[in-house]
Parts: sequence; C-alpha cells; structure tokens
Amino acid sequence: DALLGCHRSYRSRPTHGIGKFKYLLPKEVPKRRKEKVQMKEISAGTEYQYGDVNIQMTSYDLCLVEHFAQYVHRLCNRLSIRVIESYAMPTKTNEVLFLEEKGSKMQLDAVLTTHQRIVQIRGLSSTFAPILLEVIQSSQPEGVHLLVKQHTEADFKSRLKSRPELEELLAQMS
Amino acid sequence: PVSLHVLCSFSSCSSWLPQRVLLRGSHWQSSLLEFRTSLPVRAQPKKKKKVDVKKEQAQKERMKKKIKKLEKAAPELIPIEDFITPLKYSESNRVRSLPALSPEESERRVLLLKKWCLFKQKQDEAEKKAIKALVESQQEALKELRLESEELYQAAIRRDEGLFPFERDGPSYTPPLPGYDPPEGKCIDITKVYTQ
Repeated sequence: DALLGCHRSYRSRPTHGIGKFKYLLPKEVPKRRKEKVQMKEISAGTEYQYGDVNIQMTSYDLCLVEHFAQYVHRLCNRLSIRVIESYAMPTKTNEVLFLEEKGSKMQLDAVLTTHQRIVQIRGLSSTFAPILLEVIQSSQPEGVHLLVKQHTEADFKSRLKSRPELEELLAQMS
Repeated sequence: PVSLHVLCSFSSCSSWLPQRVLLRGSHWQSSLLEFRTSLPVRAQPKKKKKVDVKKEQAQKERMKKKIKKLEKAAPELIPIEDFITPLKYSESNRVRSLPALSPEESERRVLLLKKWCLFKQKQDEAEKKAIKALVESQQEALKELRLESEELYQAAIRRDEGLFPFERDGPSYTPPLPGYDPPEGKCIDITKVYTQ
C-alpha cells in the first residue's frame, strides 16, 4: 500500500519517466460533439439601454442583402456596439402567377426568392439608438426592407424545424 | 250479493296477476324492477373497470416515454438554401479560360480601382464625421437641457418604448406609377417545409 501510495518521480535517477508511452502515440484530435442548439438568454435591458435588438433586412436580391448585413455588422463593430449574432433566416420561395388578358389560364410569371439576414445587438444606449437608425437608413440600398425590433423567444423558435409528432403527442396528453 | 263480491274480488285478483306479469315486460328481464335498473351483480363489471384503468395508465406511460424520447433530441435549425451550392454547379468540369489582358487595359483597371478606393474612403470619412457631429450636437443639447431642467433631462435620457418595432422600405429606382392597372394574379408560397 505504501509503495502504491508513493508518487515521487525520482527525477535525478535515470529511470525517471520509465512508464511513459503516450508521447509516442499519434496525437488524436478530440472528437467534436454536435453543439446543441440552445437559446441564448434574452436580456431585457435597463431604463437607459435597450435589450436584445434584431435588425432584420429582407430583399429579393441575395448579394445586396448579404453586403448590407456585412456593412451593418462592421458599422456596429466600429461604433463598439456589442453584436451577439449575425445569422440568416431560411429563404422563402414564391411563385407569381398572373391572369392572361385573353383567357382564363394563370400563367407563370416568375419565381421569386426572399432572403433575410438578421444582426442581433445588445446594449444599445437610448441616446445613440436614433443616430444608429439614421445612419442605417441613409445607407439603405434599393429594394431592401429594414425592420428593427426587440428579440423574442418566438423569433428564435421560428428558426427551428417544426416537430409535428411531438406536438401531436403533447396535444393528446393535455 | 256475496257471490258478486267474491266474483269481483276474483276478477280483480285475476286482473291483478296478469297485470303484474305484464309489467315484467319480456321474459329476458330477470327482475321486476323498472327497465334500466338492475340488482347489483358482483361478478363481471368491476373487473372490467380495473382492466380499463390499467390499460389507460399503460397507454399514458407509453406516450410519456415517447414524448421524453422525442424531447431528448435537440431541436435543429432549418438549413438555409442560400449557403448550399446546388449540385449542378459542382458537377461539370468545364473551366472558363479568360482572355489575356493588354497592358493598357490592366493599367486602366488598376487606376480605376485606385479611384474607387479613394471614393469609398472619402465616403467612409464623411460618414464618420457625420456620426461624430450628430453625437456631439446631441450631447450639447442634453447638457443645455440639463441646465434648464433636471426632470426633462431625465425623461429624455430614458429609452423610447415606441421606437421599436421600426420598419422602413428601401428607396426604389422607379416610384410606383399613378393609375397603373396591374393584371390579376396570385402568389403561391412554395417554400420547402422541414420537419424533424
């Protein structure tokens, strides 16, 4: 028992580190577990600061909305406004049909895709908010619809896949 | 007269019996009580109740287990089609060969790039200056307000609840034409619905 309990390594002796072998094995990269999608805490903000605010940019043009989102993100970085996340919402596809002049058949006009990017910020002070809005508005490109609102749980849930089985079972239970 | 009474009693007696028999209804009715009631029978019905309750409990437990299992799986984000390149663009092996640029052309392009950089720099500087000016003037106004009245200053510092949600449409190249009659039509949403 005393022999096992003794952990002195006798560094001066030539037998120091005699049982080591892990340094000979190839380095294994730690397996990355899938990070669970969890909702981050939504801060309500104080009287002089707004909580989590979502700047949502929507447009039919992908490149335009992408570049505008990047611009807004960089602007917030430059003005030392804390950006929590900057993500994209799933794209919506719409088929536009119009009625022909002579005839009752609906003709396919176009297939439009609506893209949306969101930049989430926190800790926007009440005096600086109108200035920020003014700057973003002045550089808003054509065809990009801007919406600034508070972040809610419903906004987060809209990003997740729907689970009809779970909802059915929960409805049956109650 | 006595015989008549007896006869009457007999007739009533006779009428009594058949009535009672009639009240019994069909011969399947075992008791003489009314239709739906029956004497308590202590054989089958209670066992049925127990079995039902057990079955229901088992069913509920099964459902709870299913719910637990489904809830264990973490919710997934809807994949965004913007970031997934369609396969048809990565399948073909054709390579684009660009024509060689003449030195004048490349010179022109470099000079254009420099001009664009300068233009963008000027734009950025102007924006920074504008922001600075706005902030400064705001601070000055707040200082003056504070000197005027403390109450109004405090109210001005507070956050505006009516600011959000804020919506604005971007400017358009061509504003809508007045008196334009668009053809009738409809929009169908064909977004793919993902379920877990």
